[in-house]
Amino acid sequence: MTVRFFATIRTYTGETERRLDDAPATLRELLTALAARYGTLFRRAAFAGADLNPEIIILVNGRNVLYLRGLDTALSQDDEVSIFPMVAGG
Amino acid sequence: MFGWTGTILRVDLTKGTITREATDPKLARDYLGARGLGGHILRSEVDPKTDSLGPDNKLVFAPGPFTGTFAPSAGRFNVVTKGPLNGVLAASNSGGSFGPELKYAGYDALIIEGKAAKPVYLWIKDDQIEIRDAAAIWGHNTLDTTDLVRAETDEDAKVSCIGPAGEHQALLACIMNEMHRAAGRTGVGAVMGSKNLKAIAVSGSGAVKVADPERFKAAVMKARKLIQAHPVGGAGLKAYGTDVLVNILNQVGALPTRNYQDGYFPTADKTGGESLAAKQLVRPKGCFSCIISCGRVTKVDNPAYAGYGEGPEYESAWGFGSDCGIDDLDAITKANFLCNEYGIDTISLGSTIACAMELFERGFITAKDTDGVQLTFGNVAAMVEMTRKAGEGEGFGAKLAQGSYRLAESYGHPEYSMTCKKQEMPAYDPRGVQGIGLNYATGNRGGCHVRGYTIAIEVLQNGAVMDPRITEGKAGLDITFQNLTAALDSAGACLFSTFGIGAPELAEMLSAVTGVEYSVDEFMKIGERIWNQERLWNLTQGYTTADDTLPERLLKDPIKTGPAKGEVNRLGEMLPEYYQLRGWDDKGVPSKAKLKELSLN
Repeated sequence: MTVRFFATIRTYTGETERRLDDAPATLRELLTALAARYGTLFRRAAFAGADLNPEIIILVNGRNVLYLRGLDTALSQDDEVSIFPMVAGG
Repeated sequence: MFGWTGTILRVDLTKGTITREATDPKLARDYLGARGLGGHILRSEVDPKTDSLGPDNKLVFAPGPFTGTFAPSAGRFNVVTKGPLNGVLAASNSGGSFGPELKYAGYDALIIEGKAAKPVYLWIKDDQIEIRDAAAIWGHNTLDTTDLVRAETDEDAKVSCIGPAGEHQALLACIMNEMHRAAGRTGVGAVMGSKNLKAIAVSGSGAVKVADPERFKAAVMKARKLIQAHPVGGAGLKAYGTDVLVNILNQVGALPTRNYQDGYFPTADKTGGESLAAKQLVRPKGCFSCIISCGRVTKVDNPAYAGYGEGPEYESAWGFGSDCGIDDLDAITKANFLCNEYGIDTISLGSTIACAMELFERGFITAKDTDGVQLTFGNVAAMVEMTRKAGEGEGFGAKLAQGSYRLAESYGHPEYSMTCKKQEMPAYDPRGVQGIGLNYATGNRGGCHVRGYTIAIEVLQNGAVMDPRITEGKAGLDITFQNLTAALDSAGACLFSTFGIGAPELAEMLSAVTGVEYSVDEFMKIGERIWNQERLWNLTQGYTTADDTLPERLLKDPIKTGPAKGEVNRLGEMLPEYYQLRGWDDKGVPSKAKLKELSLN
């Protein structure tokens, strides 16, 4: 599994991507593991209490997890996960 | 009047006359200013069959009621004219500080008509207006022109001008103001060039009268707090600029690549806002009264593309980047600098070069056509050289400067022009994001994203969410965005203020500044009126439902790679509902009942 970080999320992780040999079963498990690795700023960006922070955008293979099963979205080893803060422009 | 100055300035370049007239309070109330009021002036005064580059076309510079106040990001104005690229009721929106200065000089609109016998510029210092000789300025780029005009007028004057592209009447020409801000789309710079008008300098000593200062102050402070608290308006755009969008559009599979042949570009990250911030950003920059500061002051040290200026925005980084198969950010930024200096639209030119690259690779044009240049995708030096040539109007560049539709059509293959109503689409692939496709197809100035930015909801999760892959509900979404944007454009607000505030805050500020009570419904109704006004004009140009479409590629050829692989745009599922919800018949014509409801004829 590849997890890619963008914009301010990169400043929390200090790296642009991370490859995981053993994919967590769900997005919740993945974000919990990443929060343990990267610390408080990442955890605050990812979670609002026990829920997904509404100001984070997470794509699994290009699909926003809000259209999948949110934190319960199942993950597999071949997945690419992209994590963004809210961004915009035009 | 409050919010409005109450005066419109009219300059006839043929006769050399300068007149003033009162702003009609009813028109101001119903059309606000900028795009709306300017559009009404044009529709009232210009024959739709007029040659857009002839003396009978008019060019209206119009700020809105917010412009020049301390409302958030209140530096906007519109340039309204019959657009030479495609004949539409063109309104091209710009920031900077020219619009506020025009208000301070005392004007709700500046109407330019006729054609000067020789190159001139206009010097507006409050109520003293001069038409001055521009022989010594003609031929200069936009940076030098601004400096030269200021040297002859006032070093603090705000200057709008054309570069060489406008002088050549290139159909992709912009009007630049304050050197780096562009009224960029629909070819408004060509109209200015056709009138032999090189520049307008303005200096005003007045102020904008506010109807209820305490109410306005409260409304503005509330709006500012909301924008500053928003992750995008408050911090994101300042940190990374609009170019931050490269990665998220690529990761959803909707970053148009190699002239829209694909929707995914594997090395796009090299061209995104994160890379720009790390390598080129000198400082962020805002327009007048801006608390967002999305602008990028940038510097390129690479000797091959060295330069200093502003940008690129996301659209420019895409046009000269993935759409040309290029991931060299230094070259992209150089091309952007050149466009600012020549005064030419980065979106349309980038897309037109991409179109030429596809024509070249398919063998429809050869190096004989392209002045010996191997114009293949990914050829960085060729992209920069073609940008220069287009700005100069030199050789093959002169064809590029007329846009991709005319280019591709001239070689017998208009199907490779990625345009709607002959204007190039911007940087969101409608196969990966359904609603933006409907917006492009129904866009009343052609391919355009800033008049119905459904991306905010379909991709960016801004306030609400709708799945980009579905078509249900997208007609209503598009109409809401189109109407809201028409109203806020006409008020003189910046689109990016909606990353924090919406119609309720805009209506409250508008009521406080003008003294006219606008409910949210009335504010949105103004937007609907303006949208329909533009539609009525376009119908006079011969546009029909057949033109409310997308390039066939986007309807039939699936995206080849990336997350949206296999997707096409399903416009047919959305368009009938769009007409129905608009109150238009199946030919896309507004019904009599709708026109009566909107007080239009």
